[in-house]
Amino acid sequence: MRILSEGQGEYVRPDPDGYREWVRDHKSRAMVSKLMTEKEAVQKFVQDGDYLVYECTYLQRGPSSLIREVIRQRKKDLWLGAKFTWVSAALLVGGGCVAKLDVGFFLFGPVVESAIREGRVKAYEYSNVVMTNRIMAGAMGLPFIAVRSFGGTDGFKYSGAKIIEDPYTGRPTVIVPALNPDVALIHVHQADIYGNARVFGTGISHSEAALASRKVILSAEEIIDTEQIRRDPGRTTIPYYVVDAVVHAPFGALPGTVQGYYASDTPHVIEVVGSVMRGLVDAYLERWVYSLESQQELLEKRMGVAKLLELQQRETIKEGYRP
Amino acid sequence: MTEKATHFSEREHQICAVAHMVEDAKTYWVTGGGSPMAAILLAKKLYAPDAVYVTEDGVLGAEPALPFDPIMNMVSSRAGYRALQWGTMNTVGFHAQIGLMDYGIINTLQVDMHGNINSTAVGDYEGEHRRFGGPGGADSIAALCWRTILLTDQQKRKFVPRVDFISSPGFLDGSPGARENAGLPRGTGPWRVVTPWSVFDYDENRRLRLTGVSPFVTVDQVLAEMSFEPAMAPEIDVVETPTEEELLILRTELDARGQITDVGRWIEFRDGEYVFAESGGAGDTSLPRSW
Repeated sequence: MRILSEGQGEYVRPDPDGYREWVRDHKSRAMVSKLMTEKEAVQKFVQDGDYLVYECTYLQRGPSSLIREVIRQRKKDLWLGAKFTWVSAALLVGGGCVAKLDVGFFLFGPVVESAIREGRVKAYEYSNVVMTNRIMAGAMGLPFIAVRSFGGTDGFKYSGAKIIEDPYTGRPTVIVPALNPDVALIHVHQADIYGNARVFGTGISHSEAALASRKVILSAEEIIDTEQIRRDPGRTTIPYYVVDAVVHAPFGALPGTVQGYYASDTPHVIEVVGSVMRGLVDAYLERWVYSLESQQELLEKRMGVAKLLELQQRETIKEGYRP
Repeated sequence: MTEKATHFSEREHQICAVAHMVEDAKTYWVTGGGSPMAAILLAKKLYAPDAVYVTEDGVLGAEPALPFDPIMNMVSSRAGYRALQWGTMNTVGFHAQIGLMDYGIINTLQVDMHGNINSTAVGDYEGEHRRFGGPGGADSIAALCWRTILLTDQQKRKFVPRVDFISSPGFLDGSPGARENAGLPRGTGPWRVVTPWSVFDYDENRRLRLTGVSPFVTVDQVLAEMSFEPAMAPEIDVVETPTEEELLILRTELDARGQITDVGRWIEFRDGEYVFAESGGAGDTSLPRSW
């Protein structure tokens, strides 16, 4: 296959057979409870140096409580798949957790900029869809995937993409390396204790990230009985046997919204976006992460019942978000 | 109601200009919210009822429950309200890849004479530069939609001969077949650029061509706010200004909080001509006051 041009960005070498062996050896097919606290889940399944993806954003049905826990445990040298992000990447960089970033989209700001300028963090360029296609290729067990976008951009030069002469059409075709992240953080509406999970509504690449990742931590608004899963199996978006940890995390996406469950906490959204844009991430993390032991304590000390109920009441649209 | 408005903002004018371009029964793939959404939904209400609003997060044909809370323009119940399908970024990306997306509308930071878009870095990427958020969904929209409409402001630093960094592809170096040689689908590419002051298409050499100017500025004023000389259409049209009906819908239904339109200067119709209002504008702010 003739390579016409290629990007110079560093990338995780695809290893589909290695991934299959990992899945054979580490993904238990037994129905065993994976329920644990966010602290245990992150201690057990996020290692320094991991390639980490999060689904959706800190502001929209994202695994916000898990991201806070990763920062709280001061994980180091992570490589982030920073697609469709608002502030998650900047918070993790501000927390000193990040060494490398594959960029799709995220809110920059002084903290990330200085980290990149001073060489503490290295950025590689992709786009949102190219990143989710890479994850899809990982979920399909492939070494790479062809995409019809991304060619001709300057991002291409700083990525792991290549343009090849497609052996079937003879046309120049962009290929990108499959991505099998070490760990995926995914927030779902409902899951059983084994990890059968339901996402209601739209999303980015939650099903693909769950299949593509060596370790999968779910946080769930509700833990439901497996009997409910069995009564409506078409609703299962993520099957148990790819899941490694299930964390019961009511309001786990705060300050973000979870469709059908609660609205975003607007003052907090503005606080965190402002903190990222003005370089005040340290103060934000002190208030919302380091000074708290857990998500539970955040709900008790920083939110309170009245505020939580208000966010639930403000989420007036329920259609499609309840089976 | 269809009479011309006498007071409107630059942004309202720009949104209406885009709404006038929206074709019925065509798909519009966008990053959710903002001016692109306002233009599509405005057109749906008045001119193109079957235009389809499609967002980056895989939501097809939503009828958004406006207004949104700040930043909740995708993956939220109000943004996805009454959609025909909730997919994902991958599913809609494949829809675009097989040719289902007719138009993309993209807000851009910097655009060049061949319609390339920069949303990554202003300055020297490998040296001194100011960093921005990356292409997000714009790269795929610009690559895969049949036609792409770019929105930007009329400022010298926004119109440059060559963008500092191609985040999302236009006609690349402008040579024939440049997009296809880079692996992009045949027959796609930039179609229009719309600013509050002007409208451009592309000439046969895939170079930006001025085709219309808003009635409150002159051609010279437009050219003075560009860092290169565009091609010129044989006749420069006057860009139609908003009607009272369009503004009513924008202000009371689509953007009741001014989250989208409350940017830029105000225009008024005074003594038989459109002029910049002396006061009442938001001034040169990049964020709406109400945000």
